[in-house]
Amino acid sequence: MLEVVLVLAINGLIWGLIIALIALGLSIIFGLLDIINIAHGDFFMIGTVLAWTVLVQTGSFWPAFLIAPLIGFALGALIQRIVIQPIRNAAALSIVATFGLSLILQESVRMTFGPTPRRILAPIPGTVHLFGINYEIYRLFAALIALAAIGGFFVFLHRTKIGTWMRAVRHDRDTAIAMGIPANRVYVVTFALGFALAALGGVVAAPITTVDFRAGVDILPFCFMAVIIGGLGNLPGTAAAAVLLAFLEGIIASFADPTYARITSLVLMSVVLLARPQGLFRGLAR
Amino acid sequence: MTRAKIEGALLGAFAAFLLAVPWLVPAIADRFWVSVITEILIWSLFAASVNLLFGYVGLLSFGQALFFGCGMYGVAIGIAKLGLGFWPALGLGVACSAAMALVAGVFAVRLTWHYFAIITVVFSLIFYFLALTLKQLTGGDDGTSFALPATFRLGEMELSLADKTFQYFFILATVSSCFFVMRRLVASPLGRALAAIRENDTRAALIGLNVYMLRLAAFVISGVLAGIAGALFAFFGRYASATYMFYHVSGEAVVWTIVGGAGTLLGPLIGTSLFIVVREVVSTRWEHHGLIVGVVAILIVIFAPRGIVGLWRDMVERFVQRP
Repeated sequence: MLEVVLVLAINGLIWGLIIALIALGLSIIFGLLDIINIAHGDFFMIGTVLAWTVLVQTGSFWPAFLIAPLIGFALGALIQRIVIQPIRNAAALSIVATFGLSLILQESVRMTFGPTPRRILAPIPGTVHLFGINYEIYRLFAALIALAAIGGFFVFLHRTKIGTWMRAVRHDRDTAIAMGIPANRVYVVTFALGFALAALGGVVAAPITTVDFRAGVDILPFCFMAVIIGGLGNLPGTAAAAVLLAFLEGIIASFADPTYARITSLVLMSVVLLARPQGLFRGLAR
Repeated sequence: MTRAKIEGALLGAFAAFLLAVPWLVPAIADRFWVSVITEILIWSLFAASVNLLFGYVGLLSFGQALFFGCGMYGVAIGIAKLGLGFWPALGLGVACSAAMALVAGVFAVRLTWHYFAIITVVFSLIFYFLALTLKQLTGGDDGTSFALPATFRLGEMELSLADKTFQYFFILATVSSCFFVMRRLVASPLGRALAAIRENDTRAALIGLNVYMLRLAAFVISGVLAGIAGALFAFFGRYASATYMFYHVSGEAVVWTIVGGAGTLLGPLIGTSLFIVVREVVSTRWEHHGLIVGVVAILIVIFAPRGIVGLWRDMVERFVQRP
């Protein structure tokens, strides 16, 4: 019994780190562009499909870690230019536009990749003995990659010029523009980065879940929960909330139906929305 | 000719068309289009419930499917489990959605804007998952199907929705009365107060309007409209299923509304008709009609943010005002 709880708790923790990676993209897009991105789950799905494509084309899984985020970045920049930029000033319309985008991405994948879900074998086979249980090595590796990417993103945000620009535009757009920061270019980079992070999350998660054109629909509510419970636009809070939620769901799922785990976190999210709309982790916001 | 006159004439022609559908459509096209038009009527009532909140009160709800589902399950469970007749089951469906809207609304209308949109999704997801889990009550994934009871019984004569023509007119009558009520509501003092809140809730509060109660009232009315649509759809399909409570269903209604023209009475009807007709025409030949829906949604949002009705009004104004 204890082993089962332990496995599900570690699974939850690792899944939480991957969700955190995806939710970070959702959060920066929301914080900077004021857009509720319904298509964000599909950005993740595109990442898993790209991982599968790279594996089939080259026979190796590893190039996907580089190729998928790059393609994601390019697609994100393109989408921002064509779809998001023209509706910058109408947040309600952005929900409709990204909903349309989500349909387009899903249908394009269904058309090219096909409707049947596929599985990718773990690129690092084998298990390791950990706290008295056998645990898949790839999952631990996935957690490391997710952790490194999250860390790298925060370093980017706080140590580079573009990262500083992004924080400046979010803080006060008009002043930032007056100081000579090219806000429009910052928007493009932000949206593209959001897509790239989600695509990277997709590559990391591909051997753990299935590759399916509907994968985004399942993951989107979870990402939103992380963003809300962490506080809209609060990046460290989002990451913390994602890990906490997945861990919690893992624990609950070990003794009850997984659906009840999901309902519990949704109820938790409602309480947070109503009682602390700024999120649970206000102290982490900067 | 003024715009009002042109629109009046078009509306008259449209009403005449709707009344003639059961005879006209089989004469010029396949009979199956009668049931497509029936379905359009039901879904446009659902879209109208989104429109009432978004177009007239300024609250974007992404959770209307919850009330649609309550209406569906009220009818299905009422007939299949409780053995109710037609009218009590319809009443149960509407009462369920009203009660659910009241409970959800008490919490949801405390929030506005993004937060409101998100909490409505969250509520509908909670009950979506509950409906999937409570298999004994809802039938889970498979849903609940039921045998249609008679609507009217006059001695030996029975009239039920199994009669396609009667079904069409029953749904047409219900949906058009709902649209009529909505029209009266929007023009009433309550409707004016709601419009004031949409324009500026702080000022509305300062002139003495109870913003919270008014929003709650609008939320419940809109929930009831969605519930009626759900109850009709349950009768139409003879079953209820949790899939109709998923947030994608709410999302589609939002898209239909905005594409048709939010804040106009007939916008939802126009948007819904467009998308369902496209779906029916295209899906038989090409399975990826979702691609067209997505592209149209994006194009409308970029080039005609006030929807098809807005586009039409601009066009007519330009045409009419030319000396």
